[in-house]
Amino acid sequence: MNQTIERAKEILTRYDGPHCRIMEVCGTHTHEIFRQGIRRILPEQIELISGPGCPVCVTPVGFIDEAIWLALEKGVTVCTFGDLVRVPGTEASLQTARGKGAAVKVVYTPLDAERYAAEHPDKQVVFLSVGFETTTPSACLAVRKAQQDGIRNFSLLTANKTMPGAYEAMKDSTDLFLYPGHVHAITGTGICEKLAEEGVSGVCAGFTASELLAALAVAVTRYQEGKPFFVNCYPRVVRPEGSPKAQSLVAAMMEPCDEEWRGIGVIPGSGMRLKESCQMYDARVRFRVPEMAGRANPACRCGQVLKGELLPPQCKVFGKACTPEHPVGACMVSSEGACSAWYLYGQNL
Amino acid sequence: MCVGLSAKVVSVKDDVAIVDASGARRKVSAALLSDLEPGDFVMVHAGTAIAKITDDDEEESGALLDLL
Amino acid sequence: MTDTITMAHGAGGKQTSELIHGIFEKHLGNEYFTADDAAVLPPVCGRLAMTTDGFIVSPQFFPGGNIGKLSICGTVNDLSCMGARPLYMTCAFVIEEGFRIDELDQIAAAMAKTAGEAGVRLVAGDTKVAGKGQCGGVFITTTGVGEIVEGVRMSGACARPGDAVIVTGDIGRHGTAILLARDDYGIEAEVTSDCAPLWKPVEAVLSSGLRPHVIRDATRGGVGTVLYEIAAESGVGIRLETEKIPVQPAVRGVTGMLGLEPLYLACEGRLVIICPQEETGRLMEILHGQTCTEGAAVIGCITAENKGRVVMTTQIGAQTLLPEPGNELLPRIC
Repeated sequence: MNQTIERAKEILTRYDGPHCRIMEVCGTHTHEIFRQGIRRILPEQIELISGPGCPVCVTPVGFIDEAIWLALEKGVTVCTFGDLVRVPGTEASLQTARGKGAAVKVVYTPLDAERYAAEHPDKQVVFLSVGFETTTPSACLAVRKAQQDGIRNFSLLTANKTMPGAYEAMKDSTDLFLYPGHVHAITGTGICEKLAEEGVSGVCAGFTASELLAALAVAVTRYQEGKPFFVNCYPRVVRPEGSPKAQSLVAAMMEPCDEEWRGIGVIPGSGMRLKESCQMYDARVRFRVPEMAGRANPACRCGQVLKGELLPPQCKVFGKACTPEHPVGACMVSSEGACSAWYLYGQNL
Repeated sequence: MCVGLSAKVVSVKDDVAIVDASGARRKVSAALLSDLEPGDFVMVHAGTAIAKITDDDEEESGALLDLL
Repeated sequence: MTDTITMAHGAGGKQTSELIHGIFEKHLGNEYFTADDAAVLPPVCGRLAMTTDGFIVSPQFFPGGNIGKLSICGTVNDLSCMGARPLYMTCAFVIEEGFRIDELDQIAAAMAKTAGEAGVRLVAGDTKVAGKGQCGGVFITTTGVGEIVEGVRMSGACARPGDAVIVTGDIGRHGTAILLARDDYGIEAEVTSDCAPLWKPVEAVLSSGLRPHVIRDATRGGVGTVLYEIAAESGVGIRLETEKIPVQPAVRGVTGMLGLEPLYLACEGRLVIICPQEETGRLMEILHGQTCTEGAAVIGCITAENKGRVVMTTQIGAQTLLPEPGNELLPRIC
C-alpha cells in the first residue's frame, strides 16, 4: 500500500466528527468504491450513498422501447455502448431483441458508429446517444464528421443529460457531493463553486484508489469545520474553466430540453437534443418514432435508490426477483448501478 | 458514468491522435484539445481525448493531504 | 484437389478420401490412426480419464495459435487436470462449404505439432461438410482418453482451508488476443494467446511426488469462474491478493479501455492449482522450471470462512467480493 493511501485511510478511519452523508454522484465512482472495498474501511459516521450518475440507470424505459422499435420495425442497425445492451425495456432488452433479428452492434465510441455508417451506405445506422456532459461531445463529434463527409445514413437517438438539474434535485438528500471528475473536466467547476456559495458542499474527485481516498479525506475534514466548501481534488484533469472547445461544440449542435430520468421523473432543462439545424441526424425526426411512454416494473424501487432514500437491500425485489441475470430495474442491470454493485460486491464478509 | 483511461499520446495528425495505455493503442479524436504533442498524457473517454493531464495521481493526492 | 471445401468432400466418396489422406493422415497419421471403423488400441493398466470438448472460435487464426492447436490443448489440459497422461484422441470436423483447403492444412499441421508436444496420438476422426452459412468456417470436437498417474486423486471438491492458490502464468491473454483479432473496438496491442498443452508441467509436478488437491484449467470464463467453481464444490472460501495476480501490461491496457475484468477473460494455457501450503515452495520451483508455467504465482489461499465466495484483498488493504461471473462480457464505457 502506498503512502498516500495509508495517510488518507488514517484520516478517514479516525474520523470522529458529525455524521456525514456523501453522495457519490457518478456510477464509475460507485463501481470503484465497491471494487476497492472503500465502504468497508469507513467508520459509521461516514455514509456513502450512490446518486443518479449512471446514464444507463436513469435512461427511461421508453428509450429502450424506441431503440428496439427502430431495429425491428425500421430495420436500422443500432449501435450502442455495451452498457445498454441488457437494460430491460417495457417488454424486451436489446439483447433479447437481437434474438428476434434486431441488428445490434456494440461500439467503443460514437465515432465508430459513424464510420460503420460510412462503410455501409446501404444500412441506416442509429447510435444510442446516452451519457452526461463527458460523453455528449463525442456524439457531437460523430455528427460533425457525418456532416463533413456527407454521410446521410447516420443518426442519433438522444437521451443525453446534464448534471446541474440533478444536483439541484438531489442536494437535500445529502450533506455533500463527491462530484464526477470527468463531467467537470468538460464543464469546469463553476457550478460546484456556485452550489458552495448556496451552502451545498462538495469535492471533485478522480477515480484511482489514491484519488478517491484523498478526496474523501479532504471532504470529511472540511465538513468537520462546518462551513460550506468546494475543493477540486482532481486538478490534474479538471480545470476551473473545463473544456471550452467541448462546450462550444455541444452548444453549436445541441440545445437543452426537458428530460425524463428513470425513477426520478422529468427534470426541466436537463436533457440535450440536436438543434433544428442538425435535425437530419436526429433519429426521432428521421424515422418519425412514435411516442413511447414505457412502463417500468412497478415493484422496482430504483427511483428511491437513486435519490439515496433507500439502500438497495431494502428494496423488496433486490436479490430475489431482481438480480444481474434477471434485472427488474436499471440499477441492477448496469454494473455501475447501485443495486448491481451491492449485489455483486456483497455486503457482509 | 464516465469510464476514463489515462493514456500517452504517440502521434497526432489533424484531429486524430494515437494513444497508448500500457501497450494498448487506439485512434482517438483529438478535436477537443489544442497543441497536443507526442508524449503528452490525456484522459480518454468514449474514443475522445477530453483533457490534457499529468499522469501522476499519487503526487497530486499526496499534495492535497499535505494541505489538511 | 480443389482450393476450397465443397459438399463433395463430405459425401464419403473419392473427394472425402482425398481430404483424409491429403490433409488429416498426412499430418496426424501414426501407427494407431485407423482407416477402419474404430481404432484398436493396446491395453492400459491404470484408471482412465476421458473427456470431450467442442471448439468454435472466431477468428480461426489468431496470434499464438489457431483452432487446431486450441482443440488439442483444450482436451489435453482437461485430462492433465485429472492427473491423467493423455494417450489417445479423436477429432470430428464440421467444415463449412467454401473453407480454404490450405487453411485446413495449417490447422491440421498445428494439431499434429501440439499433439506431438503433449505426447498424445490422434487415432480416429470424422469429417462432415456443412452448407455455406450453416457453420462458421470450421468447428472441431476432440475427445481424449488418458491414464491417471497412480495414487493421484484430484477434483474440484478437494480444496482445504489453508491451501495455497496458484495460477501458472499471467491471465486473460487468450480472451484479449481473440477480442483484438476480431477488431470490434479498433484497439491494437501485442498480445498473443497463451494457448498451450500443459501435460509436461503437470507430469513434472506429479512425478516429483507432490500431490496438489485441485488442478483446473482456466478456459472460458477465466480464472474467476474456476475459483468460484472450486469454492462451491469444496465448500470453502477463497481469498485473493489482488496485487499478486499476474496480468501483462498490454492486457491491462486493453481491459482498462473497455472496462473489463481480466479475471473473467479466457485463458487456454493456464492452470489454477490448489495445493497444501507446505508443498507450495517445491511446487513453485518445479513450475518455474517448465515451459509455459515460468510465470506461476501464488495469488491467494483457501479459507474456512466465506464459503462459496471469492474475496479479494484490494489495493487499499480492504476486502471486497470478486463479483460472481455471469453475463456476456460487454464493454463498459459510459
